[in-house]
Amino acid sequence: MSLLVAEGLTYVYPGGVPALDHVDLAVARGRRLAVLGPNGAGKTTLLLHLNGTLRPSAGRILLDGAPVAWDRAGLVAWRRRVGLVLQDADDQLFAPTVFEDVSFGPLNLGLARDEAEARVREALEALDIADLADRPTHMLSFGQKKRAAIAGAVAMRPEILLLDEPTAGLDARSARRLLATLEALEAAGATLVFTTHDVVLAHRFAHDAVLFQDGRIVGHGPARDLLRDAAAMDRAGLDAVEA
Amino acid sequence: MTPIDRIAATNRWRGRPLVEKALLGLGLLALALALPPWPAAPAILVVATLVVTRGAGVPLATWAKILAAPLGFVLTGAATLIVTVGDHGVALAPGGLAAASALTLRATAAIAGLLTLTLTTPATDLVAALRRVGVPAEIVEIALLTHRFLLVAGDTAQSMNAAQAARLGHVDWKRRIRSTGMLAANLLPRTLDRAHRLEQGLAARGWTGASLAVLRPEPPVSIRRLAAILALLVALALFGCLVP
Ligand SMILES: Nc1ncnc2c1ncn2[C@@H]1O[C@H](COP(=O)(O)OP(=O)(O)OP(=O)(O)O)[C@@H](O)[C@H]1O
Ligand SMILES: [Mg+2]
Repeated sequence: MSLLVAEGLTYVYPGGVPALDHVDLAVARGRRLAVLGPNGAGKTTLLLHLNGTLRPSAGRILLDGAPVAWDRAGLVAWRRRVGLVLQDADDQLFAPTVFEDVSFGPLNLGLARDEAEARVREALEALDIADLADRPTHMLSFGQKKRAAIAGAVAMRPEILLLDEPTAGLDARSARRLLATLEALEAAGATLVFTTHDVVLAHRFAHDAVLFQDGRIVGHGPARDLLRDAAAMDRAGLDAVEA
Repeated sequence: MTPIDRIAATNRWRGRPLVEKALLGLGLLALALALPPWPAAPAILVVATLVVTRGAGVPLATWAKILAAPLGFVLTGAATLIVTVGDHGVALAPGGLAAASALTLRATAAIAGLLTLTLTTPATDLVAALRRVGVPAEIVEIALLTHRFLLVAGDTAQSMNAAQAARLGHVDWKRRIRSTGMLAANLLPRTLDRAHRLEQGLAARGWTGASLAVLRPEPPVSIRRLAAILALLVALALFGCLVP
């Protein structure tokens, strides 16, 4: 059974910009899912629906087969299981230092001080930024901020980790290093869903892929086949991976 | 980010317990204000300089530059003590020079004392400490968020400014004023948008509108160090009272 399922999601931003149009999607446990599409296709909007940040005007979302609720208790339970890392790390980091920022999620889980601290150390270790623990969040490089933001979500040990363009703006080697880190997290039990503009990376890294265009899904399937399918990729305005 | 913020965030004493730094900094400030300026003020200045350069590891030149900045105001204020305006126009005030140098010494020592605290402790640590003296958590959290937003808005303003300059928005005065006005008008919606997304990011990590609690590492306070600082302050006080 799929871990997270979206059925017929439709969303129009206030002001009348249509962003999602009857989107169906299934996230299977342990299968990395890449979401691809041109700028403005609706990728970010989709991720914001998958952890309840935005509420669809039509459609429903199932977690482990049970429909989710958007009331306070429902959202709390939902976000314990589904973590989200925003596109821009500056939108996520708010505390004076990296350590303090990463501790925010674990404390919201209601963990005791010691346990929260252990979670923070573990997440910083996993993201390879233990040496940055006491650094002010404002004095980090772009890539370091990105890692700090991901650590903030990882410290909550979510079952599903939604990442909005995790490798955008990273140099090739840092991107590879980050992917290796994510793979390790996956081995520890998290299912990864990420958006990206890097078709080659998605082809190499993802198990499944969905193609977005104008708020609609125009293709889905195993990444290996789909991203090499020139016709399907063209429907999403993307270039296929060379065989 | 100002140079003071930067130093506060990176100096060697950053991780020291706030109680120690506050006792030293506020103690030096109090002594500078209470004791006769000669010879206490120079002594305080020497102690502050040693603390900041040898202790916290701030380069001497940087320390001199930071200390010199407020000195301009002090000197301007002191200058007015030297002269007096009487029936015969402007004249040297009797005892004016002594009063002016006493004021300059005292103010410099006071600033130096306080700077030992502000240069070694990030503003956010100081604000967070307000909770321990009874300020409600909500107010402290708002202050911390405001601080964060000022930094981010400052960066945004800086890059917008650079982008305008790159497109020749600053070539003459008229255009510069126009560009700056547009920047200011744009900064608010941009910052609000940012705040909205920050809220989404916080919610994603389980925030439900209650406290923005984070784990703040609290280094153990050493009684020995506190005693040493207290001894230093007492020695300075005795020196300042007895030597003149
Ligand atoms: N806050 C908002 N208010 C109104 N419209 C929005 C808002 N955010 C996004 N949109 C619109 O919704 C549509 C989908 O945007 P979304 O950010 O989901 O795209 P995306 O696929 O993530 O794009 P990108 O690759 O550039 O990040 C776009 O037409 C966009 O203009
Ligand atoms: Mg996006």
